[in-house]
Amino acid sequence: MAAALDISAYPPDGMEIRLIERFTTLRGRRILEVGCGDGRLTFQYALAAREVLAFDPDRASIEDALDEQARLGIQNVAFRLGSVERLPARGAPFDVALFSWSL
Amino acid sequence: MVHALRRAGQRMQPGGSLISIRPHRTWRPSVAIITPAGRVPIAQLNNSAFDRRLSSAEAALARVVAEGRFTLAGVRNHRYRARLDNPSQLRTYLELIAAPRPRFPAGRRAHLLEIWRSRPRGSKIEIAESIVVTALRRR
Repeated sequence: MAAALDISAYPPDGMEIRLIERFTTLRGRRILEVGCGDGRLTFQYALAAREVLAFDPDRASIEDALDEQARLGIQNVAFRLGSVERLPARGAPFDVALFSWSL
Repeated sequence: MVHALRRAGQRMQPGGSLISIRPHRTWRPSVAIITPAGRVPIAQLNNSAFDRRLSSAEAALARVVAEGRFTLAGVRNHRYRARLDNPSQLRTYLELIAAPRPRFPAGRRAHLLEIWRSRPRGSKIEIAESIVVTALRRR
């Protein structure tokens, strides 16, 4: 059987984080991520963040993110199915909001 | 998207950062064959349906700034490249892009295959894409 191809249509790991950190640090921050998909970007910064709330409207993507979260043993990320418009207007404020490939 | 930006803004600290990462609207994905002798440009890919979404996203970001909720902190463009071994890998790459996917202009995929058939040893297919990062600061 042929080896699995390591092809991704997204930027190489770390590139987006380096670009984000030209504007703000993610370290120790409370982060809202909109359009997290399967957590591809989330898992690149989660260990540095204080806490992450990540939304995506695609159920399969959120299920993949939860599986990967369990595999990695990451505790400070809450993945939520749905749109960010469901986020209550009141609550603890976020330091950073990431709209990652979210249009 | 403007509603999502407003809702996020409601829950952000004053001075907090809102970061939008998205494909660049005018720097279209491009395909080339890289040979030991140089780069042979093949095509710039089209994605008119996606272009409309990108325009809407830019308008939404501009709108929340105009509303006074945010200030523009900066914009960065960046290009990245993937090197692929053959046209089959290019097909896989394009299938991994969320719909609506970019497409070759008429005749350019055939042109790629024609050039590829006569490629020198060691050639690769390169796809170059661009992203833009916009940073807004919560007032």
